[in-house]
This record gives sequence, C-alpha cells and structure tokens, in this order.
Amino acid sequence: MGRIPPEDWALPMIDALNEDFFTAGRLLLQACRACSAVQHPPEHVCRSCQGADFESRESVGTGTVYSFTVAHYPAHPSLSDSVPYAAVLVELDDYKHVRLTGNVLDVEPSEVAIGMRVRVVWQEVQDASGQMLKIPQWQRAEA
Amino acid sequence: MQRKTAVVGVGESEYFNRGGATVSEFELACTAIRNAVEDAGLPLSDVDGFVSYLDARNDPVRLSAALGLPVLNFSSQTWGGGGNGVASSLMIADAAVSAGYAEVVVAFRALAQGQFGRFGQARAGGGPASYTAHYGVMTAAQICAIQTQRFMYENDVPQDALAEISLASFAHAQRNPRAVRYGRPLTREEYHESRWIAEPLHLFDCCPENDGAAAVVITSMERARDLRKPPVPILAAAQGIEHGGGIPAFNESNFPTAHHRHAGEMLWQRAGVGPGDVQVAQFYENFTGPVLMAMAEMGFCAPEEIASFVSNGNIQWPDGNLPINTSGGNLGEAYIHGFENINEAVRQVRGESTCQVEGVELSLSVSGPGFAPGSTILFCRD
Repeated sequence: MGRIPPEDWALPMIDALNEDFFTAGRLLLQACRACSAVQHPPEHVCRSCQGADFESRESVGTGTVYSFTVAHYPAHPSLSDSVPYAAVLVELDDYKHVRLTGNVLDVEPSEVAIGMRVRVVWQEVQDASGQMLKIPQWQRAEA
Repeated sequence: MQRKTAVVGVGESEYFNRGGATVSEFELACTAIRNAVEDAGLPLSDVDGFVSYLDARNDPVRLSAALGLPVLNFSSQTWGGGGNGVASSLMIADAAVSAGYAEVVVAFRALAQGQFGRFGQARAGGGPASYTAHYGVMTAAQICAIQTQRFMYENDVPQDALAEISLASFAHAQRNPRAVRYGRPLTREEYHESRWIAEPLHLFDCCPENDGAAAVVITSMERARDLRKPPVPILAAAQGIEHGGGIPAFNESNFPTAHHRHAGEMLWQRAGVGPGDVQVAQFYENFTGPVLMAMAEMGFCAPEEIASFVSNGNIQWPDGNLPINTSGGNLGEAYIHGFENINEAVRQVRGESTCQVEGVELSLSVSGPGFAPGSTILFCRD
C-alpha cells in the first residue's frame, strides 16, 4: 500500500459538471453531441465547436503515468501523516489528450515513475451531504 | 504601444520576511507608491490612476483617498492565476495613458500575507480543484512540480539546471542591500541537500513569502522627458495564451508549459526585436522549474538546450551572456508577488542596479510562469 492523503481529504464538491465523473463508478468523460470531441475537465460549452449538448463517453480506464510529484511538505495539517505521497497525472489510453490526476494506491511513492502502466479503481466515500462518491484512483497494471 | 509611455519612477517599502512587517499592508502600499512618485520628481497629486493584478486588496478608491489625490481617472487589474499578471498590469497602464484615459498611473503590489490569507495555500475541492485537491494536489508548488517533472523528462533536464536558477538569484541578492537574503549566500551543495517540498522541487527551488510593496509610475513619453530621472520607455508588452492554453487540472493544450509561448511571440512581434537582442532579463521565480520552461518559451533557446543555456555562469552577472534576476528576484530579493522584478528591469535601463549589466538597450521582465495567461514586458533605452 502506498501513502496517499486520507480518503475523506478535500472531497470533490459535486456540481452539475462533475457529478457523473465522481458518482457513476465508471470513467465517464464529457463528449459533445455535435462534434464528438471529448473534453476534460467538463465545461458548459464545447471547447472545440462551442456546442452545449453533451453525452457521456466511457473510457476503458487504462493509461500511463504522464507526470507526477512526490509531496513531502504537508500543505495542510490534515496531511501531516500522509507525506510523502505521490500524486500522478495519468494519460488515458483511449483519450490521449485527457490527463487525470490521482494517486497510485498500491505503489510506494519512491517507485512511481513516468511511463508506469495503471488502471482505474474506485474509492467509495460518503460526503458531508450523505452522497456516495466513487472517486477514480489508480493501481499498477501489467505493461 | 511602442515608446508611447515610460516608467519614470520606481519605489518600494522595506522588504521583510513573512510576518515581519511592523505596519499594515495598506501602509506598505502607500509607502511604495509615495517612494515611486518621489523618485519620478512628481507631486503625489498628479497621480490619477492605479493598476495591479489578481485580487489586489489595496483598492484604488481607498488609496486615492488616503494619498490625497484630487481625482482618480483610471483603475484596473488583470485576471488570472497569480504573479502571471505582473507585466500585464503595466500593459494596461500603458494602454490607459496612451489612450488618454489617465496621465500618471501607478502600477503596484503590496503583500503582507501574515495579515491575510496566503497565496497558494491548500484549498477544498470545488470547481476545477475538484479534479486535483482530493489527490493531494492543491498548492502552486505541487502544480509546478508536476509541470516541471514532465518538462525534465521530455527534455533530459538534470536537477542541476534547476539549481542554476536559485544560484543566480541568491548570488545576485548578495550585492543588493534591499534583499531579504542579503548576506546569506547559497552554495550548490546546500541547494542539493535542502529538503524536498514537492519533487522535483527542493526547498531552494521555491520562492519564500515576504512582506513588502513595490510600485512604478507610468506616464506619457512627452511628459516623461521633463522629469527627474531618464525615462524608461515601454517598448512592448504582451499577455495571453493560445487556444486551450489554460485549461485546468493539467489539461492545457500544450502541457507542460510556462504559459508564455504566445505572450512571447506577441512581445517580439510588437517590439520588432528578438530574444538575442536583450542584454538582461528578470524571470518571475515562483519555482525554478517553470523559469526554465519560460526561458525556452520566450525563445532564448530550445527546450532541450535549456540545461546548457543556464550552465557555466551564462545567467549570472557579470560575465554571463544573459544575466537574470539581477536584484535577487523572488528567491533572493523578496517575493513581492513578482513586482520587484519590474523595478529591477527598470533600474537596469537606468544604470541603477546593484548588478548593473553594461550597455543595456533592452531589459526584459517575464511574469509568473506557472499559471495562465502569461505576460511579459520589454523596456528600452530612450
């Protein structure tokens, strides 16, 4: 088990744009019905054609670590027991222009590297309003 | 607009460690503004405009009353990020004076973060931060670390290239009595041995937090020539990004980026000169890695050449081909949200720097590289 921030740390505040992403338990990306562009993070208007009618497109949820940092300084007192932890940027296999931030749950921070293969896993956490969130996270995958 | 306006006055408060200021942030702002106006040889009552950037707390209505200005004709600030707006605040001052909306505009920044919240502190996960905060990515240091890690990977940049930025800033601060790090030099060994903040950023890759204020006075070229000091014309300024260049959560169209590629292209186009024509440059160092990216995006070298460009003393005064951050910059002089780099760029044209470069015709300042949109300004000799 790698080190990560506490599971209830800085939970996403659910809004109309991010609800699918953080509650569906599937990696749903925002796709424009008019031009089919997939964009992340979601926006109210399509950045490619300025359309405003969207559907969800599911990613298979595999990718490669594109960049990362190992945080040693706890930016908040709640993270004092979590450092050092690695935060990664994952480039998706099926939507290569989409980069998702996360943690690799089963890898020690010192082992995280650019090029590491990962697959999505789900972290289930209830937020303060009682809503069950399913937050995408990552674990090491076979090359 | 080319040489329509000039900086005629430069001023600052004393610079302190964070929490070290014994007076309010507002008083620091007033002190820097008064010093800049006095340096210009103008009466305070001639000031009729103020500009700043990113949520400036010391608003012009309050300032104009406290400073006794007969009228306020113009006030504005730029959007976006953080210290990336430094140069663009002067750009709007240049535009306002060129257009005749104001005659004497003060651009300024005051920071006493101990008295208020801190820039770059951890925040909860709403809006774009919902895609990053839960994973422990909240601070400017972490965001810039992730950008830097990829830049280093793609361009085979060694840790020592980051060190060169710190070493230049700290070396130059040793000659500047205003500098918070005056009398406290940094060695390469100390750099490498300093603790990690967010890999690949060591402690000395990260700018400190300071209390202080800095200001400059901008007026028309005609008026500038009658004042106390030689005018320092604004040759060109630029702010902006290409499409998608600032999409949040690391989904910028050109990641990794310092967000200065487009602003740089516009600057050189407007100025009619290129990076090779510049004698001295100030690069806002929030963190050293993004400075490397900004140097490449501003056209000083290709990204894969950055390690050799910054090595062998090439960015250090007095022998380097492009001395940078000659007052000590954010790292060594003081983090006045980058405004101290404007004052230094002006002083280099005047011949007043404590690391004075010989024969300065063009003096560049590049604003905060971590966040969009980038901005930059080029001063010249009259």
